[in-house]
Amino acid sequence: MRRGLPAGIAALSLMVATGFGLHATPAVAAQNAPAAKPAEPPKPTPRTADGRPDLNGVWGGGGGAGAPNFVQKGDTLVVVFQLDGADPYQDKDLFKALDERGSARKAAAPNKPPYKPELAAKLKEASDLQSKLDPAFYCKPEGVPRMGAPSQIVQTPGQVVFLYEGRNTFRVVPTDGRGHRDDVEPTWNGDAVGRWEGDTLVVDVTNIIDESWLGADGWFHSDALHVVERLRREGDTLTYSATVEDPKMFTGPWEITPRTLRLMANAADALVESPPCIERSGENQVTNDHH
Amino acid sequence: MRIGLRALLLIAGLAAAAVPALAHHSLFAVFDEGQAVTLKGVVSKVEWVNPHVYLYLDVADAAGKLTTWSVETFPPSTLRRAGLTREKLGLGQHITLVGYKARNGKDLAFLRTITFADGREVMIALGDIKEVK
Repeated sequence: MRRGLPAGIAALSLMVATGFGLHATPAVAAQNAPAAKPAEPPKPTPRTADGRPDLNGVWGGGGGAGAPNFVQKGDTLVVVFQLDGADPYQDKDLFKALDERGSARKAAAPNKPPYKPELAAKLKEASDLQSKLDPAFYCKPEGVPRMGAPSQIVQTPGQVVFLYEGRNTFRVVPTDGRGHRDDVEPTWNGDAVGRWEGDTLVVDVTNIIDESWLGADGWFHSDALHVVERLRREGDTLTYSATVEDPKMFTGPWEITPRTLRLMANAADALVESPPCIERSGENQVTNDHH
Repeated sequence: MRIGLRALLLIAGLAAAAVPALAHHSLFAVFDEGQAVTLKGVVSKVEWVNPHVYLYLDVADAAGKLTTWSVETFPPSTLRRAGLTREKLGLGQHITLVGYKARNGKDLAFLRTITFADGREVMIALGDIKEVK
């Protein structure tokens, strides 16, 4: 991992008992300031009392949630799952069209993990049998980093809490300089410790259970998985990125496609409990077709 | 309204972050669009769960014997966006329902339309919202 000067200072400060206090000194904050303006932010990034970028809030804006998905036509409420260009009244091959759109998106996706060549056959099998093998299909957690950016962040000095609305998931990330735990079994979200590199919150994740997939295209991994997530706020925009390493499976590190989220400040954006995940379709599939 | 480069990049980023709903099973792998079935009965239960909401419809045959059909539909988040609730999906009401039958022959279907006694209708559609007439 490359470390810039501010990162080096941050890492050094984490090694000393009084490190956290050092973080908040104006000298360090001033040193970090120039790095935070590669482009003019639309508005200043708010900061917490300890001088860090304030990541608190509900973050979202993906999923096309803003566009209406229904039309009221006379007495009929039409609820639409958008398939561009498809006639919703022809009910012959729309199901197939949905699958084909999914397959085309997967095939066109340029950013795939760099699996070792000898894993190609195993990877193709996992992909082909996704609807039988994908743990998330059967309501197991997506895990880190597949579940993506948090829906809400709660930031306190020494600790950041990530909340995920999708499956009612939480992660507690210490940022007080402590190391990884060695007293816990592998889990779906792994063991996370955070640190500040300049204005970027860097979360180091290990001890991720080897049952999870990195994506729905058969992307298995080993117990050597190591994920480094980065969260950076500029104005009211949050960028989430992650570097994924798996020396047993990959030829090198994999950068996931970064996600850009915006601050959701309306009362209606408050997180709500997700209904439980209860899978009832798997046993009724008579083919291996999948999206 | 003037949109700067930064705003455009932000919009592009948000579009890239879009996660497809209905990313669960292939509808084709379970249901047959060529086999529509019309059922009349009472919605005895609406199971508001991920990844798909289920309606349970008690259908009586000529002799009065009840068969409970399971009727799958969109995920809760998609229905909620459209303002649908358990009640608006007919919970406790006598309805006429059209669905696509399961390929495995079970009393299972994928919801197409619900028609209420007063003529109101809910239609579940895959397709382009611009093509809704």
